[in-house]
Amino acid sequence: MKLQFTAAQLALRDELRAYFRELMTPALAAECERDMGEGGGPLWREALARMGRDGWIGLGWPEALGGRGLSPLEQFIFVEEVMRAGYPFPFLTTESVGPILAEHGNDWIQREIVPKILRGELLIAIGYSEPGAGTDLASLKTAAVREGDGWVINGQKMWTSLAHFCDYTWLAARTDPEAPKKHKGISMFLVPNNDPGWSCTPVHTLGGVRTNATFYDNIRVSDDHRVGELHGGWKLITSQLNRERLSLINFGPSAELFNATVRWARDSALPGGGRVIDQGWVQLNLARCRALIECMKLIVYKQSWAMTEGTLEMADASAAKVYGSEAFIELYRLLGEVVGQAGLLRDGDGCDSARRLERLYRAASIITFGGGTNEIQRDIISAAGLWMPRASR
Amino acid sequence: MDFGFSDEQREVRDLARRILGEQVSPRSLQAYDEYAAPRFDEDLWRALLDAGLPGVAVAAQWGGMDFGFLELALFIEEVGRGIAPVPAIQHCVGGMLPLQRFGSAAQRARWLPAAVSGELLLTAALTETGNDWSRAPRCVTARRDGDTLCLRGRKSAVPFAAQADLVLLPAALEGGDDVAVVLLDPRGAGVTLLPCESTSFEPQAHLQLDNVRVPPEQVLVGRGGAAAMAWLAERMCAALCAHQLGAADAAMRMAASYTGERQQFGVPISTFQAVGHRMANCYIDVECLRLATYQACSLLHDEQAAALETRIAKVWAGDTGHRVSYATQHVHGGTGIDRDYPLWRYCLWLRHNEMTLGGSGFHLAAIGEGLAGGQGLFA
Ligand SMILES: Cc1cc2nc3c(=O)[nH]c(=O)nc-3n(C[C@H](O)[C@H](O)[C@H](O)COP(=O)(O)OP(=O)(O)OC[C@H]3O[C@@H](n4cnc5c(N)ncnc54)[C@H](O)[C@@H]3O)c2cc1C
Repeated sequence: MKLQFTAAQLALRDELRAYFRELMTPALAAECERDMGEGGGPLWREALARMGRDGWIGLGWPEALGGRGLSPLEQFIFVEEVMRAGYPFPFLTTESVGPILAEHGNDWIQREIVPKILRGELLIAIGYSEPGAGTDLASLKTAAVREGDGWVINGQKMWTSLAHFCDYTWLAARTDPEAPKKHKGISMFLVPNNDPGWSCTPVHTLGGVRTNATFYDNIRVSDDHRVGELHGGWKLITSQLNRERLSLINFGPSAELFNATVRWARDSALPGGGRVIDQGWVQLNLARCRALIECMKLIVYKQSWAMTEGTLEMADASAAKVYGSEAFIELYRLLGEVVGQAGLLRDGDGCDSARRLERLYRAASIITFGGGTNEIQRDIISAAGLWMPRASR
Repeated sequence: MDFGFSDEQREVRDLARRILGEQVSPRSLQAYDEYAAPRFDEDLWRALLDAGLPGVAVAAQWGGMDFGFLELALFIEEVGRGIAPVPAIQHCVGGMLPLQRFGSAAQRARWLPAAVSGELLLTAALTETGNDWSRAPRCVTARRDGDTLCLRGRKSAVPFAAQADLVLLPAALEGGDDVAVVLLDPRGAGVTLLPCESTSFEPQAHLQLDNVRVPPEQVLVGRGGAAAMAWLAERMCAALCAHQLGAADAAMRMAASYTGERQQFGVPISTFQAVGHRMANCYIDVECLRLATYQACSLLHDEQAAALETRIAKVWAGDTGHRVSYATQHVHGGTGIDRDYPLWRYCLWLRHNEMTLGGSGFHLAAIGEGLAGGQGLFA
């Protein structure tokens, strides 16, 4: 047992930190801010293509598929550093759907899609959720019907994030309405967003993040666009969601925000004398955050280590997701109290932590219900981690 | 980075788990409830000594197993899992570790082998009324008289004071702010033991010292003892965390299996999401305590700086202990507090570990002070 990084891991971290320091020009940082941390702008695309050229896309893919074959722990180090740098890396495309396409895709996908993903030239949105299918995702209604050699797709997706600047939608559609179990009749498709039958309308959220409602109106695709086994989409969905989780909880940005807030509190004088950080309650809030983030760090490190060893327990993956998502909310509150009313101002009134916190607290709830809601994660923890019989659903 | 255990670590843990599993039961623990007998199972302690476990972190030249703090912590975690009536933390961490680290060659040769074999029982007097932080003793003072130290004052709630042969004890040196650490004979002249009753039924006594003369061969650290006490306090805190981890994990698993059996409304109560989720929260808390504790212990194992990490672990020991205690009581309903069912003793020990050597608030305040003083940022 040794809970510190090895020299090689530290070297990778330092290499990445230096790389991103150089990559994130002030102009790029400003563009990313403007796009609410989602990316999609011209400088953002340019930087992505550069990362593709420098071999920083497809880190976790097997080398045989054109990736770097890094262990989950090394990928995790990458995620931490890219998040810390503030670059909205398109994980969903490159690290979560990408490797699935590389593994299960047919010839057309291998030829047309996979190389472009690795070059940072092709982006994919995820189309699972629907107006009537959220947590109970398997009840989705969007349908793909066989016609000749191809498929005709009709339906509506909800919360299709990034779709407005992506090239394709990774779409879950019902292909067997008669299947005895609803998750057995779903297949996966790669739908081109430039199809005339594809449209999207924006959905604006509390945190300022834009997402979309997307519509699929008689979209015809060839069978090439279907991925994996017919009616076997559920397996791909769950494996994609499991990969997604690796980039959901990262402690780097929280550690960074914490450090910045502490420094601010050390450097800021109180009008009546002394510093902000000299106040007992401020010290207590900061200490609470320190203890919370420390365990966030340990929990995600352990998760990456266990994935690398191939010993990740389901309950521990769920525990990491629940703990991390709820700790974020707690942190933004405790740190928000420290910066005070400046944290209500969009520009933070000169305090950079306050500026960030004003936005962060508004977007913090997304991952308590998204990415597999915490209720379901807690169900998994009590059943798989504590062997408690659970209600059937 | 490696979150796994070595073969040796697994062996230590399994050995401890086997002996404790065989010899500790609700029935065996019952003998000590309400101080019916001193809570010290000497047969069990002998079995652990014979297996070499208390000496796990002592060098081979003194008869120990020659492993380190992490292995010792794993042993203590198992003691916590069984809330076993043995003085493991006091003897091993409070006594043997500082003796091995700070003792003179003569002191080590004289006492360590006997402590490893169990002929000699050690403990530590760390707390004073109103002063939970042993590195700065205030209530016991030491006056130099030649090379003898004369002690007076009072240490409170010293565990196993009546059973121990030597008590490690820090005292404030008169005329300065220095600290001396001695190994005191609790049966010596001028020492009075005032037995007290604690929430956990641990045998304890207040130690009243009235001009107790400590000869130089019993002085462990004559000058600069605050650093030695800081060293010891960190290890004691980490050991309490390990004990808390074992106890909290056991209480949680007891509740998990109870709720899978107990039926209401025709179904196991575990199938109610409110029950399952409260237990899932315990699982997350225990995992945080586990990780924070192992981190502190592995740093201490390598003699690295671990002041902050140890405090963070102790905060989690306090918070997790508190929450697991009340969650497990709650999901048991009345059974949780019925003294014929084994959970209640765990609740006593969860509280004991939570409040000993500083609760969460105490350590959070210290972390906050460190942050204000320029320490504690993330790397
Ligand atoms: C900003 C944003 C981006 C998103 N991006 C995408 C995307 O790119 N692609 C995509 O497909 N989806 C996306 N989603 C959708 C997201 O995955 C869903 O919001 C999520 O699955 C929850 O579904 P729902 O919103 O319909 O809530 P519901 O499922 O209706 O849940 C409402 C509440 O009921 C609770 N609940 C539901 N079932 C249970 C149960 N069995 N036990 C206990 N409680 C339960 C939930 O925990 C929740 O608190 C996004 C959402 C947001 C807000």
